[in-house]
Amino acid sequence: MSFRRWRANRAPWALLRAFVICIYVFSLGPILITAAVSFNQGTRSYFPPRGFSFRWWERAMAPEWLDPLWFSLKLGSLTALISTALALPLAFALYRYRFRGREALVALTLGPLMLPTLVTGVGLLQLFQIVGLRDYIGFAALLVGHVVICMPFAVRTVTISLSTLPPNVELAAASLGATRLATLRHVVFPLIKTGLIAGAVFAFIHSFTDVNLSIFLARPGEIPITVKILGFLEFGFAPTLAAVAVITLLLPLVLVAIVERVSGLGDFIYGDRNRG
Amino acid sequence: MAEPALRLAGIEKHYGATVAVAGIDLEVQDGEFVTLLGPSGCGKTTTLGLIAGFFPPTAGEIYLRGKPVADLPSFKRDIGVVFQDYALFPHMTAAENVAFGLRMRRVAPGETAQRVKDALDLVKLGGLGDRRPLQMSGGQRQRVALARALVINPAVLLLDEPLSNLDLKLREEMRVEIVSIQRRLGITTIFVTHDQGEALVMSDRIAVMNAGRIEQVGDPAAIYETPATRFVAEFIGRMNLFNGAVTPARGVRLASGVEVALPVPDDVATGTAVHVAIRPERARLTPGTPGDGLALMGKVRRILYLGAAREIHLELADGERGVVEVRNDGSGLGFAEGSEVWLSAPLANCRVLPVR
Repeated sequence: MSFRRWRANRAPWALLRAFVICIYVFSLGPILITAAVSFNQGTRSYFPPRGFSFRWWERAMAPEWLDPLWFSLKLGSLTALISTALALPLAFALYRYRFRGREALVALTLGPLMLPTLVTGVGLLQLFQIVGLRDYIGFAALLVGHVVICMPFAVRTVTISLSTLPPNVELAAASLGATRLATLRHVVFPLIKTGLIAGAVFAFIHSFTDVNLSIFLARPGEIPITVKILGFLEFGFAPTLAAVAVITLLLPLVLVAIVERVSGLGDFIYGDRNRG
Repeated sequence: MAEPALRLAGIEKHYGATVAVAGIDLEVQDGEFVTLLGPSGCGKTTTLGLIAGFFPPTAGEIYLRGKPVADLPSFKRDIGVVFQDYALFPHMTAAENVAFGLRMRRVAPGETAQRVKDALDLVKLGGLGDRRPLQMSGGQRQRVALARALVINPAVLLLDEPLSNLDLKLREEMRVEIVSIQRRLGITTIFVTHDQGEALVMSDRIAVMNAGRIEQVGDPAAIYETPATRFVAEFIGRMNLFNGAVTPARGVRLASGVEVALPVPDDVATGTAVHVAIRPERARLTPGTPGDGLALMGKVRRILYLGAAREIHLELADGERGVVEVRNDGSGLGFAEGSEVWLSAPLANCRVLPVR
């Protein structure tokens, strides 16, 4: 092989390698820096950290931070549960049946994916105020808003898993004496389970990381962690925030890891090589 | 007389303006193997779906062991179905697949285990019960599907082109095996296929379907030897069809002017255009005029060598085409492409068919 050919073949690979390294640097870099900053000894956010201490981590473990974190966990879990529960029948209807108003329902369901969440947030805030539900601003309003913006993810994953259902299995179950309900329970449900779980996980993460919508619908005492962090930033970046950020980052990661272990979520995301 | 195991009475299925099944009457006796044979789109699979209860008929009634079932949903009918794509449950093992029907019927676990084992043994899959469908070959999946449908002892077994996804060798093996299992169990079976070879080998009776209707029902020999219509004649095997018309003497005059003294059914009026039909393997080729029977002069257009036989394509005197199959018995043909020969056949081998 000539040197020229060798170089021609090699260049794209080197380029790809550089590209991948860039991705890692830019996505992991800030996280690592933040994590490092949280161990500073002084009151300023130095990088590399000066000295080493857990004092900022102790601060982060105060109710001031743990409460909104717990609030976000509750909100996210409930959002995931409701979104998935609604997504299942919705995905079924949209995927299986052709009916009047189907297009409208599709637009309504998936619309929030395309709309800026900020707009949805402002809209919901106004709605709650106008129809006299002002008192429900806080957890209830947040829950409604989060379900609206998270459900599209669940609908998408459930629809995808429905489309991978082998064509005649439901008829086969019926011919073997299974009622519609038994077919759903013993055949359809186990086969789309990963899609449901993936939908729930996506919904949870989307809810847990949302700030655009939450900022409008939170109220004192009922504040998600993201909004809390944003509020704290007004006073500048303190190492406490670095510690909180790391916790906020790790929680969903741990959750995804657990789900991945239990049900093979990666399998769902990367294709259906191991399904069935 | 005992009630037939299955009776279809004027069933129809319309999808909007499209008529998939245009009125079918059929009786299937207990233990009989009946094949619905036809080209794709003839309504055979729709008919099977109607029997299975996957969708309701637009008109007509279906009787299972004398009981009307057209209004019953699939899970309340007593049927077993083997699908073309097998439709096994991918998240269950072979044994769990087979056990599914028994589980739905709330059969006791001990009995279920025994029956599942027997069913898997029946289809020669004993010991493979723990495999998942994706870990099995096409032929094995097919056997699981068969065991799953059989284990519930259904009143009728429905097979929807179960062999069409298998390769040729396996297909021929499974033909024989399905029939032998069917005979052993004496289970009433409806088999859907577009493969005439399968239909002829496997069936007690064949119902040839076309455009949503049954064209002819009969045992394989009757369907092949005495086809009732041109469609049946051409769909099963091959057929030479020569144009002609009924003469006042109740024979047939061919387009070439040759008169054939074939008996014409009484209900066909004099002057009606008809076909004289003869199978390629029932005709002979002779160098000179044969004595009696059908005799048409022609020229050899092409000779196709098939191994066990040769196919001689002729251009006949009146411009019509004919095919004769000559068994390759080692004696040689005695003519070549371009030679003039006579296509002849005893009248007993010819049939008069209506033009349609």
